[in-house]
Order: sequence, then C-alpha cells, then structure tokens
Amino acid sequence: MKKIFTYFFLILISLYILVPLYVLLATTFKPLQEIGISDMWKLPKDWSLSGFIKAFQKLGPNLKNSFYLTIPATIISAFIGSINGYVFSKVKFKYANLIFAIILFGMFIPYQSILFPLIRFLQSIKLYGTISGLILVHVVYGIPITTLIFRNYYSEVPNELVEASYMDGAGFFKTYTKVLFPISIPAFVVVIIWQFTNIWNEFLFAVTVTSSPDKQPVTVALVNLAGSQVVEWNVQMAGALLTALPTLVVYVLLGKYFIRGLLAGSVKG
Amino acid sequence: MRKKNLVIGISVVAPSIIAIAIFVYGFITWTLRVSFSNWNSFSALLRGEYKFVGLRNYIRLFQDTRFQTDLWNTLFFTLFFLFGTIALGIIMAILVDKGLKGSRLFQNLFLFPMAISFVVTGTVWSWIFAPGNLPNNPQGLNLLFQKLGLDNLMWGWYTSTDSLGHFNLALIPVIIAAVWQLSGYTMAMYLAGLRGIPNDIIEAAKVDGASEWKIFWRVKMPLLTPITLSALIILGHISLKIFDLVFAMTGSGPNFVTDVPAIYMFELTFRSNRYAMGSAIAIIMLLFVAIVIVPYLFSSMRGEKR
Amino acid sequence: MAKVELERVWKIYEGKVEAVKDATFTIEDKEFVVLLGPSGCGKTTTLRMIAGLEEITRGTLKIDGKVMNDVEPKDRDIAMVFQNYALYPHMTVYDNMAFGLKLRKFPKDEIDRRVKEAAKILGIEELLDRKPRQLSGGQRQRVAVGRAIVRDPKVFLFDEPLSNLDAKLRVQMRSELKKLHHRLEATIVYVTHDQIEAMTMANKIIVMKSGVIQQIGTPHEIYNKPANTFVAGFIGSPAMNFVDSKIIQDNGLWIKSSGLKLKIPKQFEEQLEEYVDKNVIFGIRPENIYDKMFAMAPVEGENTAAVMVDVVEPLGSETILHLVAGDDRLVAVVDPKTEAKEEQKIDIVFDMNVMHIFDKETGKAIL
Repeated sequence: MKKIFTYFFLILISLYILVPLYVLLATTFKPLQEIGISDMWKLPKDWSLSGFIKAFQKLGPNLKNSFYLTIPATIISAFIGSINGYVFSKVKFKYANLIFAIILFGMFIPYQSILFPLIRFLQSIKLYGTISGLILVHVVYGIPITTLIFRNYYSEVPNELVEASYMDGAGFFKTYTKVLFPISIPAFVVVIIWQFTNIWNEFLFAVTVTSSPDKQPVTVALVNLAGSQVVEWNVQMAGALLTALPTLVVYVLLGKYFIRGLLAGSVKG
Repeated sequence: MRKKNLVIGISVVAPSIIAIAIFVYGFITWTLRVSFSNWNSFSALLRGEYKFVGLRNYIRLFQDTRFQTDLWNTLFFTLFFLFGTIALGIIMAILVDKGLKGSRLFQNLFLFPMAISFVVTGTVWSWIFAPGNLPNNPQGLNLLFQKLGLDNLMWGWYTSTDSLGHFNLALIPVIIAAVWQLSGYTMAMYLAGLRGIPNDIIEAAKVDGASEWKIFWRVKMPLLTPITLSALIILGHISLKIFDLVFAMTGSGPNFVTDVPAIYMFELTFRSNRYAMGSAIAIIMLLFVAIVIVPYLFSSMRGEKR
Repeated sequence: MAKVELERVWKIYEGKVEAVKDATFTIEDKEFVVLLGPSGCGKTTTLRMIAGLEEITRGTLKIDGKVMNDVEPKDRDIAMVFQNYALYPHMTVYDNMAFGLKLRKFPKDEIDRRVKEAAKILGIEELLDRKPRQLSGGQRQRVAVGRAIVRDPKVFLFDEPLSNLDAKLRVQMRSELKKLHHRLEATIVYVTHDQIEAMTMANKIIVMKSGVIQQIGTPHEIYNKPANTFVAGFIGSPAMNFVDSKIIQDNGLWIKSSGLKLKIPKQFEEQLEEYVDKNVIFGIRPENIYDKMFAMAPVEGENTAAVMVDVVEPLGSETILHLVAGDDRLVAVVDPKTEAKEEQKIDIVFDMNVMHIFDKETGKAIL
C-alpha cells in the first residue's frame, strides 16, 4: 500500500518533469502541416525530420561556435583549477583560506556587476565579439568553481603522499605531474563535465560579448530563433532540442560525475 | 611546507588571484564608479568625461515604477521559487530515498533539467504557457484545459496583468518553470544529506519506537538543517540574479509584469546605452547577492578549519 | 657515517603554539633512536623537522656536521616511512620503490638491481607488479620500507609505521625491523607512542612530553632509572604505582603513607636523609609487588603490607591485582597461582631494592 503511494507520487512528479520534454519531442518531429496550435498535445501522425533539418541549417554554425568556445575553455579552466587546487590544499600559507574565500565569491556574483567594464576591457584588447574573448571570460570566471572542486578533491589525498614525493626527490612541479595529476582523473571528469555544461548553457556573456550572428553561441541563436515570429514552432522546438542535446548526452553518459560537480557548487559538498 | 614550495605555490596561484582581483573586484569597482556617473548616453561615454553625480542614478531608479515592479517581482519570485523548489526537492528526495525499484531512474529523470540551459527551458515553457487567443483559440495548457472541459481554468498566464497586491500573477508560469529546473538539484542535495546520516542513529530511533514519519521530522530533518541552509542560499542567490530563463521565456511582459532587475539592467545598458543606470542596477543586484553569500562563505570557511 | 644533531631546536606555530621546546640531542651513526611520547608531545614534529617537512623555528639541525636547516628535504639524503605508508596509488610496487631513484637519475640497471634486492630482503618479490590497493596492510608496510631502503639514505625516519597494523603483525614487524637495522647498519629515527616498540627496538629512547624532552637513555635506563614521574608512569604496563608518602625516621628511614609503612633499604638512606619528614611520591612497579605466598624474602613489618583485594584480573601467565590500602590504591602483577579473592585481605611483599622516590612538587626522581 505504502509502495503504491510512493509510486503514485513519483509518477505524478515525473509527469511534471516530462511535460516539457514531451512537448519538445512531439513538436520537433511534426511536419509543417501538423504544427497548428490545436494539435499541440498530440503526437505527430507523420514523424518528420523537416523541422529538425531546418533548425540544424539555422543553428549549425552556432553549434559549431559553441563547440569552439566550450571545449578549449573547459580544458583550460580544468588545468588552472587543478594546479590552483593543489596549492590551496597542499601548500599551507598564511591567509590561504581568506584568499580562497575571496576567490570563491567570484562564482556567486551576478555577472551584470562586471559586465560593462568587461566589455570595455575586451574592446580595448580587441577580443570583443570573438570566440577567443568568450573563452577568456569563461576561463577567468571558471577559476572559483574549478579551484574549489580540485581543492576539495586534493584535500582527501593524504598530505603524506605529497610529502613522500618531496622526500623521494620530486620538487613542486614533479610532484604535481608524477603524483597528483595521475590520480586526479575523477576530479577532472567532474570539472570537465561541469564546465562543459555551464559554458554550453551560458547566455548572458554569450549575448553581450558577441555581437555578430556568425560568432554567437547556440544559446543566443536559439533565443533569436524563438523570438522571431515567422519561424514555425517545430523548428523552434527542434532548435531547443539541438541546443540541449550535447549537455543531455553528457548527462546521460556521465550523470554520476555531473551530480558531484553540482554538489560541489554548494561549497560544503 | 618549506619556503621554496611556498614561493612556487604562491607564484602558481598568483595569476588566478590577479585575474580574479581584476575581473571580479576591479570590474565591480569600475561598475560602482560608472553607477555614480552621468554616463547615460552613448555620446557621454564617447566623450569619456567622468562627471560624478553621487547617488542620482540610484535615486532615479528607486523612483522608477518599472524598477519598483522589478523589486516586487524579485521578492515574490524568490519567495515562491524557494518554497516550491525546496518543498518539491524534499519530496523527491524522500520518495527516491525509499529505494524502491526504479528509484535510480526517477532520480536521474528529476535531475535532468539541471543539465539543460535556462534558455531551452524558457523556450519550451513559453510555448506551453502561451495562452493563445482566448476564449476561442486557446493554446498550450489552455488548450488542454478546454479539451478536458476545464474552461474556467484558462487564463492569460504570463501575459496576464492581474495581480494580488504587488504579486503579479504572470510570474506563476515563470516560477513553475524555475521550480521545474532546480527542484532536482535540491533533491540531489537532500539525498546526499540523507545518505550521510549514519544508519545507527536511525536504528536507535527505531528501537526507541519512533514511527517513520517521526523519524523523518524529528531526526532526519534537524540533521539536514545545514543542507536546507545551503539550498536556501544557493537557490536564493540564483533567484536574485535570474536572467536567462525570464529573458527567453517571457521577457518583460506587458506592464513589466514579469520584468526582473537583470532584464532591466540588460536593456538599459545594451539597448538604451544608459550605462550609469544599468550599472546602478548591477550594483544593487550585487548587494542583494552579497548579503546572502558573504556570511555563508565565511561560515563555511571557518567551519572547515575546525 | 651519519650523525644527526639537534641543538636547542624549537618549533613554534603561528608565533604562539610551541610544539617543540629547546630540543637538544645527538643521534650517533648506526643508532636506532626512538622518539617516544603520547600524542601531541612533539615527537612527530621533531621527526618532520629532521626530514625537512617542517621549518625549524629556532636552533640548529646538523647531519654529519653540516647545518641542514635550509636544505630541501630531497637534498638531505634521508628517507621516511609514513604512518599511513603514503604509497603512490597509481604506481606498481616496483615503480613506488623506483620513483626516488628515477628522480635522482640513477641508471636503469642500477635501479632494477636495488629494487630487486630490497624486495628480496623484505620478501615482496612476488608483489612487484601489483598496485598498492591490491596489497594487505603488512605488505604495504613492507613496500613503504622498501621504498626507503632502495635509496640507501644516510638516515631512515619512521613515523609510527606499525600503528596501522593488527597486534600480531605488529609483533612480527617489530622483530623484522630490528633485524633490518642490523643488516643495513643504518641510522634510524623512529617515532612511536608505543612503549613496547620503543623498549624492544631502540638503542636509545628519547621520551617527550608537551614539546619538552623528559629523558634520554637506553631502554634499560629509561625503565630502571626514570627521570621523573611522567617517564616512570609512561613506561611499563601496568603503569608504576605512585603513592603519596612521607619519609620518616624511626630507627632507620621509612616510607609512610595512609596504608603502608615500609622500611627503606640501607643503601638509599644517605640519599634520602634531607627528605626526612617531607612529602614525597613513592613509586613501585606492579611487578615488584608479590603475593606473600610466592615471595622470596618477606621481612614481617618491614617490606610487607596487609591490603584489601578490589579486583582480580587473571591473564593466564600472570594475574593482576587491584589493591586498596587505606587511601592508597595499588596494582600488583603476581604469580597466577595466587589465591587472592575479591573483597578479601591479602598479604603482599614489596621489593624495596627497586623502589623509586620522586619529589612531590617537581615530580623529578630523587632515587
């Protein structure tokens, strides 16, 4: 009896979670003639990829931009986080905790509060409107979270391991490359997934730092697509699906690590 | 550790510290400076002459009815969003934690919205909540209501200008979408907490004769207080700076019924070139977030030391 | 040749916490020295300063006469075995042992020779291809030791290396380490809180408490001539009995306490003369108290006492008695054939020739 109640509520909540997904998929695969608003809740009679293809034609270049942006930014910020995490967990220095807290604050600020100077700064170093500029932005503002995740990870590594390496004759960097880095794979997976998802999904920097449509990441292109009244609903929904697809794939394949990154964001983990 | 490593270590993190110093604290100071200036047009910016106008931009903002609406919207959005997300998150966690067959599947399902961009969420939910032409050509949920014979449930959703006191009812769909996106995250936090409670405590309570319900409210929940606090703070700060979701879903709405400070800031800065006013909003947002986050950060750091 | 000298060494954390205070001692070449003390006594900090893992706040550390204060750990020619072994989890046993040699750019065949030789000494030749997580605690321990041996360092440092092993394995490793010491003819500094490890392995024990060295001596000296009540109480199990007493003159010198009156042997009288009528602490080890039925030389009224038996703990090879005499409580380790019963009186005999007298105020040994 209790079990039935539990399942009842689980399914009820699942419906809430699934409704947008249903609408997204059903609309995406409807052909043009079925997308009248009165058919919205129906499954497609003729499954069609036409909306999907059209969306891909429109968003294809932006998807490419997003990959060009997300992949390098993710990799660079993972490495920075890793070496920072090493220092903040294994090199004890005065005010380390205070400095770390000051860095960490950077991940909570509303980016509106740095946006205007940031854009002026990017303009002055000629990176405004470029993918490289966006990469720089994501790398810098990714420092707090990546450092946090690696710091927490390395805190679990016994200090003696690092000390044994020093005694064995390794210096600071050799200890990193030969001892810490090889055992950091789980943390790298967490950070890479987290950064990939966040940078891919990000909108505010994307819309303000890029100006020309051919440089825009896919999130911006999607909003523009959805905002234009002339575009059919199936194309819009297909666009949304396309935008969500890479992170969804990552989630489905590596969900466990995704959750770890998620929880790291609440500082105490 | 030895001095040499100390020197190397500090020089390794120095670039990051400097980057954060400039990109976070330097830029905030810059924004603060702009918010005290007269840079409210493109030409003023081009001339580049800095004229200090004190709190004029802030005063103008607080007199601005749109900004007042934004503050009310933020308040009500935050309240209902926090309540909805945490309540649903706890319920999800309890249900999943029972460990019935398929729990894992439900857990993954509840969490998947977190992997999706707010922009996608906004796009899809705006299609669902689009009211259509009432009363004859309803769309989205209204259409569903009509088909189910629940015509009187049809309303304008995010296009509605109705309000209860200062609470714009048009925010309801936005809140539903936001709860949809983040309740899974809250569930994950609570699940982590629940799984961290040592089993012997629960067993001790069982031996003492506590019912499952009592165990939950009297034993587990008090132990989860730190999680609730974390959730309130993390979700609270997200809600105070919410932008993408609203921007993609409804924009400002008629009479700014779904407007939030972040959108107003965006429009002032990037559409009307009123940089000083935009900066003033940004600073106000930062203050809101700082009030929530700074004590939390410092207590976490101190807690770690012990 | 490897001689380690500490001269007035201090360790002060953040300008206030004094972890090690004014430590001065010398570790001679090929000596097995144990730093012994309860947790938080500064023994590990001292070891880590020798290793170079902690900065020396004040004082001088010399190895082979050269000042080492500012020399990097890797340049001190020292190897260390950590409490939790600190094996590199991603490397095989072979690579764990070879790591230090590789970093020092030893030729490949020399590395191979040394690793295999160490593995042979430690009996871990079959484990060379395994990863640490596939090893038992005792095997990990051996690898950690092996990692130190291959380096052939001037000094070996051991930080509580046996504390994570179960009791049986600990006994075995104890004798193996001792044998290893003879075989390698190495200088070893060994930190432990376990007095049995200290007593069984050390040539020299340095007892520490609250950052201060209490006594330096051979195991024999530390046991038989403890410098103060702390050392006396820390070494030996069950711990030495301490009885608040007075020395009185009554046709010779006597120890007088609430429940005991014991004659002090002639040979001690001269040393104790100035303490007559003063309060002192009388110390006697439990193994020096006998059940009168099994005692060698009871002299009625001089080294005997009638006491109440509180608890009897038979251990098989011996029996521990918890005794009450007036306000005094005593523990005695007696012959297992004792007929002592709880809540009954029993006569006991003290071997007064091995008694200890400590100053009441300072706790320092008078005798």
